[in-house]
Amino acid sequence: MIVGVSFLVGASASGYEKRDGKKIFVYGERQAAPNIDPSQYYDWSTRMLQQSLYDALLKYVGNPPKLIPWLAKSRKKSADGKKWTFELVRNAKFHNGDPVTAQAVKWSFERTLTIKKGPAWMLMDFLDKDGIRVIDDHTIEFNLKSPYAAFEMALPWWYIMNPKVVMANAKGDDYGQEWMKSNSAGSGPFRQKRWEHGVLYELEAVEDYWKGWENPKHINGFIYKIIRESSSLRMALEKGEVDGISGLSPEDYDAVIKNPNIYVTNDPGWTTFGLKMNTQKGYTKDINIRKAICYAFDYPSMIKIYNGNATLEDSPFPKGMKGHIPVPNVYRQDMKKAKEYLAKAGYPNGGFELEYVYVSGLEEERLIGLVLLDNLAQLGIKLKMVPLVWPNMVARGSKVETSPDLIAVFTTPIMDDPDVVAIQYHKVSWGKYYGSHFYQNEKTWEMIEKARFTVDWPTRRKLYEEIQTQIMEDVPELFGMLFNRRWAFRKHVKGFVFSPMRFTSEIDIYPLYIED
Amino acid sequence: MKRYFLKRFLSIIITLIGLSVIVFMVSRVAPGDPAKLAAGPDATEEMVQIIQKEFRLDDPLPVQYISYMRGLLRGDFGRSIRTRHQVQEDIRLFLPATFELVFFSIAFAIAFGILFGILSAVYKDTWIDHGARVFSVTGVAVPMFWLGIMLQLLLAAKFHLLPIGGRLDTMILPPTTITRFFLMDSLITGNWVVFKNALSHIFLPAFVLSFPALASITRINRAEMLEVLHKDFILNERAQGISERLIIAKYALKNALIPTLTMIGLRYGWMLGGTILVETVFDWPGIGNYAVGAAVYSDFQPVMAVTIILGLNFMIANLFVDLGYGVLDPRVRYE
Repeated sequence: MIVGVSFLVGASASGYEKRDGKKIFVYGERQAAPNIDPSQYYDWSTRMLQQSLYDALLKYVGNPPKLIPWLAKSRKKSADGKKWTFELVRNAKFHNGDPVTAQAVKWSFERTLTIKKGPAWMLMDFLDKDGIRVIDDHTIEFNLKSPYAAFEMALPWWYIMNPKVVMANAKGDDYGQEWMKSNSAGSGPFRQKRWEHGVLYELEAVEDYWKGWENPKHINGFIYKIIRESSSLRMALEKGEVDGISGLSPEDYDAVIKNPNIYVTNDPGWTTFGLKMNTQKGYTKDINIRKAICYAFDYPSMIKIYNGNATLEDSPFPKGMKGHIPVPNVYRQDMKKAKEYLAKAGYPNGGFELEYVYVSGLEEERLIGLVLLDNLAQLGIKLKMVPLVWPNMVARGSKVETSPDLIAVFTTPIMDDPDVVAIQYHKVSWGKYYGSHFYQNEKTWEMIEKARFTVDWPTRRKLYEEIQTQIMEDVPELFGMLFNRRWAFRKHVKGFVFSPMRFTSEIDIYPLYIED
Repeated sequence: MKRYFLKRFLSIIITLIGLSVIVFMVSRVAPGDPAKLAAGPDATEEMVQIIQKEFRLDDPLPVQYISYMRGLLRGDFGRSIRTRHQVQEDIRLFLPATFELVFFSIAFAIAFGILFGILSAVYKDTWIDHGARVFSVTGVAVPMFWLGIMLQLLLAAKFHLLPIGGRLDTMILPPTTITRFFLMDSLITGNWVVFKNALSHIFLPAFVLSFPALASITRINRAEMLEVLHKDFILNERAQGISERLIIAKYALKNALIPTLTMIGLRYGWMLGGTILVETVFDWPGIGNYAVGAAVYSDFQPVMAVTIILGLNFMIANLFVDLGYGVLDPRVRYE
């Protein structure tokens, strides 16, 4: 019967999709992007679509990431670091043909600051609506409340919207929020074509994109197809139903690479993996126990779990990030030292149990837990492994009383500035998933604050060196590894450019092209 | 009959209220702050409070429940905290896909389950009967998600006979909307390309979803047929020289169908629940897939809506089964 049906209908073949002779790139991914309003929401899937539909003043490209001019052709910072002036390109236009002006930039920033959702947190402490001033049609000035060294680093995630289009679709005082969930008003290289919620999103290239196209063979369209099961994703790629995917297990990547029609990219990323330890409650409150754990752990096993596609962390900051230093005397397995610290804590033979919480279904985190379980057993410490779904894990880590002894966390910095990582060890991050260690050290906090508001880079760099060393010494976390970011593409897909500033599975569609 | 119907209707209302209280309470006592999750990992306390206020999560629980029930009476399931979409609009979008899959599956299970049950009973202890037994035991024992992935691997990935998932190929546009059932709409509009494509996509998920039901219907229909075929009235029909085919199709089957009908009703309800697994494996854009997508973000409005809709469907299916007894057996009285 199955064979009968298949003959009747004829199953689809491999190869890239075409419509009217135009080449369409199909990207398969698990996560939907149900709200594409740049002022309301961002996550990696949403940002991938936003980046295609909208432009920002600046853009991150490449590895190491470079902040290049985009809608802004030049930028100027005042000596005190509080005033930023941007001169806009003159030929940029929105999809409906309206010019991108300084007024549109001002309005877009005001909208996000008023709604107070999505990326608003990045700048709301430093920028008021009144601080944005239009100098002329193509010049805009931002007057910050206090100097903020990372200001320009946040700008790639503040997309510019066409106020006329948004407000024409606004209901009451909603600032167009309802309409903007599924519609766009941008100037980006792609415009919306087909929007089937929960199924796929299709975008078509803007042939006369104001910035032009780097490659004449650029893709003419792009379909983001939602495929929730990783086994289905892999099959879809191998069968040619999609041209690119990510999020496979290390084993699956190593398997698909054997397919002659597929290639796999492999780049060191900035996503750090660590085990946050509750520094204010339970056994891990004692720094000696935290150190014992860090000296007991078999670090190279993490690399093995990722089939060699990872590097060990040597600092709280990811390797490659501005200001990163390899901290001296980084923790590596040394059972003698582990026992010494355990004895210092008053438990020479262990005899207690710790709780390790990880994301349910994330095999790599489970395997890392098993390694830790084995290592701690040698110290007489039992490890209780507790898999939780992400929302429950975040809830557990939000309070000192409920935060587990050890919690497995991946973190990707959103900007190329050490402040975004350093702030994770400041009191303001308590209650957030990356602040579940509830780390407390006034001296470190002071340095983080000082570095944040200092304009001069050499002074900041020195501060960040001290911050990294101090955090490592206080050991609120077992600093694990940085796993390589990988994507699998059909061989006809060219032009992929990796940037560690892009989240999880996010790719920049603009430079892609298809070649037979 | 009227009184019976009214009683059943009232019991459905009471059960629905009970169900709404349970799902509401579960959603509110579950760990995790939906507003915090919706606001994003880096959101400030002020941003979280804005979301709480917007979704009235700062109201006392009884006030929230009353407001939720008021909305339900108007058919308003509220808004998704993550996507900000109106849930009833999403349900309108995704429910037809689920119904299309379930109807196709139950029709498949009934047609083949009854046929296999009859054949198994008529050819008792032959290879046909043994084959049907192996088939039905497998159907009940094999987990749906496993069967789904195995069939995908074999028929879609290995032999390229059928698509891996979805409702249509990526480049094929949905048919003109009439019933929102792609097979039906493409048939009505004579769009054969879409019809063939939709048929190829529904076949595997429907087969997997129908498998346990098909197995159960086969088993129960076989047992009932065997019992009925040994009754005196069947012997009487045979003595009168009525053909065996007519005896089986008209007299035996009708009597054997009452327990089978109960099983069909139960299986329909289970199938609706089973769509959550099957839709996830096959990326079928129905309410099961929708609920899973929402649940992982602690986005409770969609999950509550799907639970209530599935519960209501289960109750209605049971009511129809009970009413169906009277059609099949005139001795059944409703009081």
